[in-house]
Amino acid sequence: MNAAFRIRQTWVIARLHLGRVFFSRRSFWVYLLAMFPAVVFLAHGIQMKVQHRWTPSRVTPVALLESISIGAGENEVIEKAGTPIKDGSFQNKRQKQEIRHMQYYDGERWWYLSFRDGILQHKNSRQIFNFTQDRLAFAGMFQFYYLRLAIFFGCLGIFANLFRGEMLDKTLHFWFLGPARREVLLAGKYLAGVIAAVLVFTVGAVLGFVMMLWPHHAAQVTAYWQDQGLSHLFWYASAAALGCIGYGSLFLAFGLLFRNPIIPAIVVLFWENINGVLPKLLQKISVLHYAQSLCPVPVPTSDSWPLLFRLLISPADPPSPFTAVFGFFIVTALILWVSSLIVRRLEINYSTE
Amino acid sequence: MTAPEIVFHDVSRFYGEVLGVNNVELRILPGITSLVGPNGSGKTTLMNLLTGLIHPDRGTIMVRGLSPRDPEHLMRITGYATQYDTAPRGTTGFDFVSSGLIVAGNTKKQAAELAWKALDRIGMTEAAHRKVASYSKGMRQRVRLAQAIAGDPDVLVLDEPLNGLDPLIRVETVALFQEFAAQGRHVILSSHVLQEVDIISDRVIFITNGMIVAEGEVRGVREEIHEHPGQYMIRCRDASRVASLLFGQDHITEIKLHDDRLGLLVMTRDRAKFSQALTGIALDGHTIESVMAVDANVDALYRYLIGGSE
Repeated sequence: MNAAFRIRQTWVIARLHLGRVFFSRRSFWVYLLAMFPAVVFLAHGIQMKVQHRWTPSRVTPVALLESISIGAGENEVIEKAGTPIKDGSFQNKRQKQEIRHMQYYDGERWWYLSFRDGILQHKNSRQIFNFTQDRLAFAGMFQFYYLRLAIFFGCLGIFANLFRGEMLDKTLHFWFLGPARREVLLAGKYLAGVIAAVLVFTVGAVLGFVMMLWPHHAAQVTAYWQDQGLSHLFWYASAAALGCIGYGSLFLAFGLLFRNPIIPAIVVLFWENINGVLPKLLQKISVLHYAQSLCPVPVPTSDSWPLLFRLLISPADPPSPFTAVFGFFIVTALILWVSSLIVRRLEINYSTE
Repeated sequence: MTAPEIVFHDVSRFYGEVLGVNNVELRILPGITSLVGPNGSGKTTLMNLLTGLIHPDRGTIMVRGLSPRDPEHLMRITGYATQYDTAPRGTTGFDFVSSGLIVAGNTKKQAAELAWKALDRIGMTEAAHRKVASYSKGMRQRVRLAQAIAGDPDVLVLDEPLNGLDPLIRVETVALFQEFAAQGRHVILSSHVLQEVDIISDRVIFITNGMIVAEGEVRGVREEIHEHPGQYMIRCRDASRVASLLFGQDHITEIKLHDDRLGLLVMTRDRAKFSQALTGIALDGHTIESVMAVDANVDALYRYLIGGSE
C-alpha cells in the first residue's frame, strides 16, 4: 500500500460520493443559493432591455437638460427642453400645493423633474445601461451575499453532511469497514465535497458575471473584457473556489466534532462578519479575510452609512493575493490535519446520535 | 506453524458509565465461533471492537496479527455483516457489494465479477439492481452477508446473521459458514437461535453483562461447570427399580420418573460416579436401552450460565 495506491483510493472514494453530493435532496437549496446572483442579474438585464426597447424616439440633448437648474419655472423648462415625454400633476390638498412631475430622455438616461407650485424642486437622472454601477453591484453582491452567505451556507450543507449526515442515516460504518485508512476516507469525502462545491459556486459566480455583462453594449463589454474583464472573472472564480475549499474544511471538521454543526456554524458566521473590527492577528484566522482579499473590485462605502455597519462590511487590511492564497491553504491544511486526528478516533455509536 | 488467532487481551470498553465489555481474555481459533448472550450482554461490542468500529478503553486486540486500528490491512482479510441494516442513500444491492471491492483496489470489472459471485452465492442476483432501501428485512440481511463475503475474507464476522432468513436460505447460509470454517478461516457469529448455534458452532463464547462467563467447545464448557448437576435421560424397561438403585448413590441429587414409566431424568453432581453406577446396574441385569446427556447443548448451558431462556 503505497502513496500512489492511497491517492487512487482517495479518488475512488470521492467518485463514489460525488453522485450523492450532486444529486441528493439536500443539494437542491445549494443550487438555489449559487444561482441566485445569476437570476437577479438576468432579471435586471431583461428589465434594462425592456426599458431600452420602450424608450421614446424623441431625445432631449443632455447639455440642455443639465443646464436646467433647481428653482426654474415650469414654463422656462418647457421652453428650454420642449414638451416632456411624460407629464403628470396633482394637488396636495393638505399642504395646498400643486405638484408636477416631468420626464425627459436624453438617449441614455431618464431625467425626472419634480415641481412644487410651478418651481423645480428636484432633478435627477437614471441611466438605463450603467456599466460601472452594474460592476459595482456585482462586486457588492459577490462580497456581501455570495462569499458571506451563499458559499458559507452552501458549504455547510455539503460538507457538514459528509460525516454527520451518514451518522444520522446510520451508514457511516459502511465506509469505516472498507479497507482504507480513515485519513484516506476523509480525503476522499473532502475531495468529493470540494469538487461539487467549487463546480457549483464557480459556475454560479461566472454565470452571475456573464448575466451582469449581457445587457450592456457590445463595444463596452469588449473593451472591458480586453482590459480587466478576464482578470476580474478569474479572481471572482478563484475567490469562490477558495471560499469553498476553506469553508469546506471547516464544516467537514464541524460535522465530525458536533452533533449539530449549525450552532458552531452560526458562531463562525458571526466571527467572519466581525472580521473587519478584530485585531490584526485574529483577522488572519478567517476564510473570508483571504477570500475577500482576492475580490478584484472593492465595494465603495458611503460616509452616510452608520460607522458600525461600515466597519463590519469593510474588509480587513487585505493581504497580497499570494499571501492570501498561501495563508488560505495553511489554514485549510491545519483544519484538515485536525480533522484527520478526529476521524482516526471516531467510533460508530449511532445510538448516541 | 501455529494457527492464526484472534486475541483479545484484557480488553475493556465502557460507554460513559455503562459497561460494554470488561476484562475480556479470548483466544479464538479458526472455525465457527458463536457469541451467545442476552441482549445488551456485549456481543455486538465485541464484534465492533474486533473490526475497529469502536476502540477499547483498555487492552489490546489482534486479528490474525493485525490491529483493528489498521483498517487498511485488517479489512482486506475481514468481512463484517453488521446489525445496521441501512445502506448509503440510493445504493442498489449491487453497488452496496461492489463499492467496497472498488475501494479495496479492484478494477470496476473485477469488482463487478466478485460482487455478482457473492450475490449469486446468497441468491440475490435478481434483486441486485433494486435499491437496498426497498429490500425486505431478509433481503437486507442477505445483501449484507454478500458484502461481507465478497472480498473472500479470512475472518467473517456476522451479527445475528440468521435473523429474518427463511428456512431454505438458513440452511444454505449455514452451509456457507461451514465451508468457510473448513478452509481454516474464522467465522464469528452471534445468534439468539441457540439450537442453530449448537449445531453449527465449533466453539461458543458465553457473555453476559460484558463479561465472558465461559468459552470453548460446547461439551467442554459443560464439563467445566461443576456447581450445576448434570442431567441424563435414561430409557429402560424397569425405570422404577433403576431409580431406586440410583437413589442410593450420594452424587444423585434428583430423579424424575417419566409418565410412561419407561424413562428417568437423573441429575448428578458427579458424571464419572454416575457412569460407574449405571454400568453396575446394567451388569446386574437391568436392561438400559439408552442414556443421553440432555444438558450438553447450548440451550441448557445458556440457562445454567446466564439464566432464563432465549
